Amino acid sequence: MSNIRFEQIEGKSLGFYTLITGLGILILAALVSVYYVEHHGHFVTGMNNRIVWGMPHVFALFLIVAASGALNVASISSVFNKKLYKPLSRLSGLVALSLLAGGLMVLVLDLGRIDRLIVAMTEYNFKSIFAWNIILYNGFFVVVAIYLWMMFERRMNKFSHKVGLVAFSWRLILTTGTGSIFGFLVARQAYDAVIMAPMFIIMSFSFGLASFILILMASYKWTNRPLGNIIVNRLRNLLGVFVAAVMYFVAVYHLGNSYLAENTGIENFILFDGGIYTKLFWYGQIILGGIVPMILIYHPITREDRSMLGLSSVLIIIGGFVQLYVIIIGGQAYPMELFPGKDVLGDYGDIAQYFVSLPEIFLGIGGIALAIIIVTFLVKFLAFLPESLEDDLADSYHKR
Amino acid sequence: MKHFLVVFLSLLVSSVFAYIDEYANLGEQASSIKASGKVFHESPSIIRKMHPELLRHKRDKTLRKGIRTNNYSLKGCVSCHANKNKTNNQYYSVDKKGQFCSDCHKKVGVSFDCFSCHRTTLREGLL
Amino acid sequence: MNKTLNRRDFIKIMNVTTTGVVIVASGITLTTFASVSEIPVTNKKRWGLLIDTNKLTETDIDGMVNACQQEQGWGAEIRSTASQKPGWIKKLKVKDKTTNKVSNLALMCQHCEEPPCVDVCPTNASMKREDGIVLVDKHLCIGCRYCMMACPYDARSFVHETLKNQKEHMPRGKGTVEACTMCVHRVDKGETPACVESVNSEAVIFGNLYDESSQINQTLRIVQSSQIRADLNLNTGVRYSGI
Repeated sequence: MSNIRFEQIEGKSLGFYTLITGLGILILAALVSVYYVEHHGHFVTGMNNRIVWGMPHVFALFLIVAASGALNVASISSVFNKKLYKPLSRLSGLVALSLLAGGLMVLVLDLGRIDRLIVAMTEYNFKSIFAWNIILYNGFFVVVAIYLWMMFERRMNKFSHKVGLVAFSWRLILTTGTGSIFGFLVARQAYDAVIMAPMFIIMSFSFGLASFILILMASYKWTNRPLGNIIVNRLRNLLGVFVAAVMYFVAVYHLGNSYLAENTGIENFILFDGGIYTKLFWYGQIILGGIVPMILIYHPITREDRSMLGLSSVLIIIGGFVQLYVIIIGGQAYPMELFPGKDVLGDYGDIAQYFVSLPEIFLGIGGIALAIIIVTFLVKFLAFLPESLEDDLADSYHKR
Repeated sequence: MKHFLVVFLSLLVSSVFAYIDEYANLGEQASSIKASGKVFHESPSIIRKMHPELLRHKRDKTLRKGIRTNNYSLKGCVSCHANKNKTNNQYYSVDKKGQFCSDCHKKVGVSFDCFSCHRTTLREGLL
Repeated sequence: MNKTLNRRDFIKIMNVTTTGVVIVASGITLTTFASVSEIPVTNKKRWGLLIDTNKLTETDIDGMVNACQQEQGWGAEIRSTASQKPGWIKKLKVKDKTTNKVSNLALMCQHCEEPPCVDVCPTNASMKREDGIVLVDKHLCIGCRYCMMACPYDARSFVHETLKNQKEHMPRGKGTVEACTMCVHRVDKGETPACVESVNSEAVIFGNLYDESSQINQTLRIVQSSQIRADLNLNTGVRYSGI
């Protein structure tokens, strides 16, 4: 630990205050949207009785999934003993906490009765995966907070390995829980698959690391701190592996689903004739969010370029949103198979329509803004960021 | 510290209110029962303090167990404590300003959530 | 505090005695008290419906939807779009892919024995009564809509706007989920659901599935009937024949 000096950022520049103000405005816009929706009712949104979960859930699930993934950097350092990642582990814990806070904000503020949130904390149905998730999310805050404490407090450093192990297991269970929200929905052909849980875990690795890399690069650039190539390259390679893994899981999921005759309808819908959902799947999720970042990460021309890594991270995040949109909205849009061997005539047998509304988008963006503003404030007040991540420092650290 | 003071004071105020016997707006039926000297609630102070629990207990019995008696039913409360608008012969909503439920709840500063779902007026011909 | 505790005990004792008295009294005057029961419903009964799609005409179904709206007070929402409006009971036209036979049927909450909506509800707001009727406890509903995601029958609706003038027996409110209650308020009084009453023929039968002397039980023994999505093993309370 002795080589690495953690230090707060100064946080007095014009840029810092502009950032805070901008994010504050976005959060305010989200709160205004929430008030608007709660006051009028959900009829002002695009959600309806067939598209039950809409854009807010896309944002919320992305942030929650990314949150658990962002903790990976810390886990690699303390659980798998890769010393190179050690200087990044504090930031990793922080990004995990703030992304989760943002996601939960979006999820909670879209409830029909926000005023009854206390009921969700006092009445538990232990058969419900949602209820488990409430416990898992709250527990994640506690576990990661303790983990951070172990890392910050010199006397406690010796425990950070054990607590890190707990945090790592906890995050795996958490993402399993998030994936199972869908995986256990027997009613809907798009969701009823056990592979949902591991797929969500691997998605979290990729989305979380992409978010982490962006935050890391931005904070080092804006504070003029040195960030060496060794660490960046490591993260880049890791990201490439995760993106490939996500694509692999998506392929297995769709192949497995197509194999069942009862699911051919939904598979055809997503893969071939689902209009907007098919386009989003191929162009958004697969090409923009998978293939292009892979090329950027591995191609000799773009490999060394740091801004290309930033671009691939952005593309992975966009692809992640698209992927969740296709899973959540596309999965609901296709009518449920109520009568095998029969067609349902009339409106009810058609694809459900969803037109996203502005308040939903504002709410979602507000969640992202909340996550970033938490990071921005905390790196100012606590020593999360190493003063330098210069190559020689990282290298010596790595070799020891 | 301040918080405790607020909690303490509001408890104090509400317990004082629980023993005050005068209300401007009791509702039509309730007023006439009172005027006739009949006793409906044996102890108004207990009803004032306990009605949330009584209603909650009753709601679970009705909804979950199918026991649809009139004791402590919200319908019962509304039917006695509602007022009629003399000009158009319509009942006022009990959660409207100046009516029984809202009046008292406002006085003690406690919000209530019954009428975001429950009907606020008595249906004609119930009693 | 002492005083309230005493009061509570007093109420408890009073309840026990009245229940006792009612049990004894009901033995003597059997039917007089039948309309308002003080005894909790039990799992000795299981309420169900049998819908015969061969006998059920389209007008019948329209009548059922109408009767449901009248009874429970839904369908008059002004701000919600068509897909946001509640639909406690829906008219469905189903065509067989091979024979092209078209059947009309009414789809509502199927009152499963193993309801997915109850399993997924985080706050126990989705619940099943002992007698098999599946309900939403709107006092506990936080409006998360997970039950709507889990229901294989799309039976539940979310209230998208502020409501007024609800029916006295059917509280409904913005931000909570609702569905067919099998007219539980009527069933508890010994009546039949409004939709069943609206159909003149024997196309829809309501009754206690467990009671071997009931018409529904007897009919189910002789006609071939099915459950929608029987593959999910939810053991629905609503059965269909003719599809």
